[in-house]
Amino acid sequence: MISPDKIEEWIREVEERPASAALIIQYIANRLSELATREEELSAENIELLSGRRVEEYESRIANLEYQLELLKRQLGGDVILPVETPTGKPTPELISVVVYNPLGQIIRVEFEPAGMSTGARIGMLRGEPAPGEMRVSVLATSSQEELLIIFDSGRTVTLPAARLPLDEPENLDWLSAYLEEPRIKEELAGIIPIAKMPLFDTCVQASRRGYVKKIKISFFTSHLAEGYIGTGVKLPADRTFGLTFATKDDLFVMVSQEGFVFSMPAEQLPSAIEEVIHLGITDHIVSVFTAGQKPSLLFVTRSGKAVHRDVSWLEPATSFKTRGQPLLSKERREAGTRIAGAAPVGDGDWGAFLHGDGRLTAHLLSDLLASGSVLPGQTEGTIVSFSTYSVPIAKS
Amino acid sequence: MGLNVGIDFGTSNSGVAVYRGNQVQLLPIDSRNLVPEVVKTILYITSDHRYFIGQEAVELYYKQNINRQRRFVKKWAGEIDYHGADMHYVRDIFVYVDELQPGRLLQFIKTALRSEKYTGTQVFDRFYSLSDIISVYLRLLKQRAETLLREEISGVTLGRPVKFSDNPELDRKAQETLHQAGLEAGFSQVDFELEPVAAALYYELSLNKPANALIFDFGGGTLDLTIMRLGDPRERRVYASGGIGIAGSDFDRSIITKRMLSHFGKGIVHHEPQIQKLIDTVPDWAALPELSTPRARAELEGAIQRGLAPVRLKALESLIFNDLAFSFYNMVEGTKIKLSGEGVAVARLKEKGLDIWELYSRSQFEKDIQEHRGQIQDVLLATVADSGLEPRQIDAIVKTGGSSNIPAFTQMLANIFGMERVKASDVFSSVTAGLAIKASQSS
Repeated sequence: MISPDKIEEWIREVEERPASAALIIQYIANRLSELATREEELSAENIELLSGRRVEEYESRIANLEYQLELLKRQLGGDVILPVETPTGKPTPELISVVVYNPLGQIIRVEFEPAGMSTGARIGMLRGEPAPGEMRVSVLATSSQEELLIIFDSGRTVTLPAARLPLDEPENLDWLSAYLEEPRIKEELAGIIPIAKMPLFDTCVQASRRGYVKKIKISFFTSHLAEGYIGTGVKLPADRTFGLTFATKDDLFVMVSQEGFVFSMPAEQLPSAIEEVIHLGITDHIVSVFTAGQKPSLLFVTRSGKAVHRDVSWLEPATSFKTRGQPLLSKERREAGTRIAGAAPVGDGDWGAFLHGDGRLTAHLLSDLLASGSVLPGQTEGTIVSFSTYSVPIAKS
Repeated sequence: MGLNVGIDFGTSNSGVAVYRGNQVQLLPIDSRNLVPEVVKTILYITSDHRYFIGQEAVELYYKQNINRQRRFVKKWAGEIDYHGADMHYVRDIFVYVDELQPGRLLQFIKTALRSEKYTGTQVFDRFYSLSDIISVYLRLLKQRAETLLREEISGVTLGRPVKFSDNPELDRKAQETLHQAGLEAGFSQVDFELEPVAAALYYELSLNKPANALIFDFGGGTLDLTIMRLGDPRERRVYASGGIGIAGSDFDRSIITKRMLSHFGKGIVHHEPQIQKLIDTVPDWAALPELSTPRARAELEGAIQRGLAPVRLKALESLIFNDLAFSFYNMVEGTKIKLSGEGVAVARLKEKGLDIWELYSRSQFEKDIQEHRGQIQDVLLATVADSGLEPRQIDAIVKTGGSSNIPAFTQMLANIFGMERVKASDVFSSVTAGLAIKASQSS
């Protein structure tokens, strides 16, 4: 900024060294010319704003959001009463973001348009070892317009829109260039959960890696979120925060362990104080937490890529806490080393994003997966590190 | 038998030169530096014990530390004994150590030679003695010089100050450490020459009778003053030596503090303390990468959202997170150097969201370093007084080092001693060049 003081100083320079005058004039003239060009560019942008072209662009974005809200309400069976007219034109295609993260707070995001994608298509490649030193690596697939809740194992939380996470080059994903949501001292990133639909649920259920849960009313939970702290949800020193899920009071809460034990219970019956609801073996820990919702079936994927399908009716809801859980795997398979990479409720037309041990990120139509029985059909080697399901929005003409 | 070179191992900057065929060749030892004949006396040791010096060290330090993750773990650092009148207990001391730290940046290595207590430092899992640290630095200098000369180097003449310390024992120990480091670096012959003698060597060769000279060695990190009798090497006598830890890098800091911080929001609005702290750290190049934490970004974003000098804070965010610090400090140094030749220069940086334009005049610069000028004049007059000579008894002022070309200091010397006695600073009057001549005589 050119202030009167600075002008005084330049005048003093000219008084001391008259030869500087020509230089000063030349530099200021160059600067004026540069600023004039810049002003012209800004004026052009202003004209775009005033003529409404920018407004149209923003209106289109708002219309798209409203469209998604309508879809969401339909999905949940509610009446659609919108305060504004739904858009009549074709909405802009919704993009899916696949977020890969680790306990160090490194977060990678790739984005793709789900329409027209073929099952098994590669959506990214994580270079180097995806999970060095057995580090827990998780995948979340969600709409790019979601709001994300990042939970640390200290109970601290951070919220940010998925679109705010920088996009990485899909074929050249690398932990070294990942976005960093830096953990504080002795903290680890525990999980990332989409929360845009949170107000539609009654409770939030927080789970720990060793099978402890607590439920929190959504009204309390939102006020905790505002403070950026929801509590660790753990009792044992060796335990760690795992994640959380949202539930209505009629929902069936499901928790799956790495060794294939499944705990389920109506969300309404879950404890409000931290309680051990499933008693896990010493080497076991929770790998997935979700509510079955309206989905008809469950998908369990083993680390070797096997897709195990069960109807929701297969679940035997527990009536007490500290249960051993419902075994999914036979004792022999468990002893042979079969481990669960993750589990999720699945509906018609749902897709999954899978992170492979070799770093590939692939997208699969889950109905195809249930038919073939494996994410890696015909392959004897290869592993699945983590996966996440997503729904492709129904196109509206 | 290889070549002999001269090495000026300075506090802030170093240099290597060779004297062949009556010509001094100052080697462009750091091609990435603004002045390639000068290499920063900075050593960066990575966690896997790879070594980098000069600008490469600075660049890697920035690259590895900007936006990096940090994980602090509690480590036992020692214990403290508490003694009371009727009690005694021991308390453990723990410190939080960033276990993901990718490397250690070591600066002001030469200063450690003056210290009685400093023996070395722990760098990750290894202890480096002071001679280890210096030898690593000298070895890399030697390798670079050999690559440039395409010849093996066997001997070195190292510069040393008139006194490392007033304590003769400490002074002897400092030279021994430097000697040991030279041998460890792979030089089979290590000689020493006083830095002011080296700086005045070319001048001394031109003398046909003894003369009193003030060597005004003004580089990037310190000003070293020596008043000595030159002319006959057998009858050299140091009348007085003095100095002050003010030089080129302090002037850069003054320019940033007084002219650049407003571009990053200083004085525009009343900032929150954490934002003010970020702004105030800008002049410290070594501390800047430490600011690139997600928390700092969130705080900046928050202030920008609240409309507190948003354009300036966006510029600050760009400086910290877009790896621009390096271009910024070079731009400031370049502007300062330009002002030695012209009355006005423009400090300009337009890159990745940063848009700085600052018309800067020599008179503004002189005003900004007014305090330093006063301190330098004081130490100069005090050294002359210590020598027991009157200014008119000093026959020549030999200027050396980049900062000695700043017109304000040439004028200061001319005012005290007379313009005709101030000898221009050129390649032959540098410490490095003198050491090279000396080295060639030793071979």
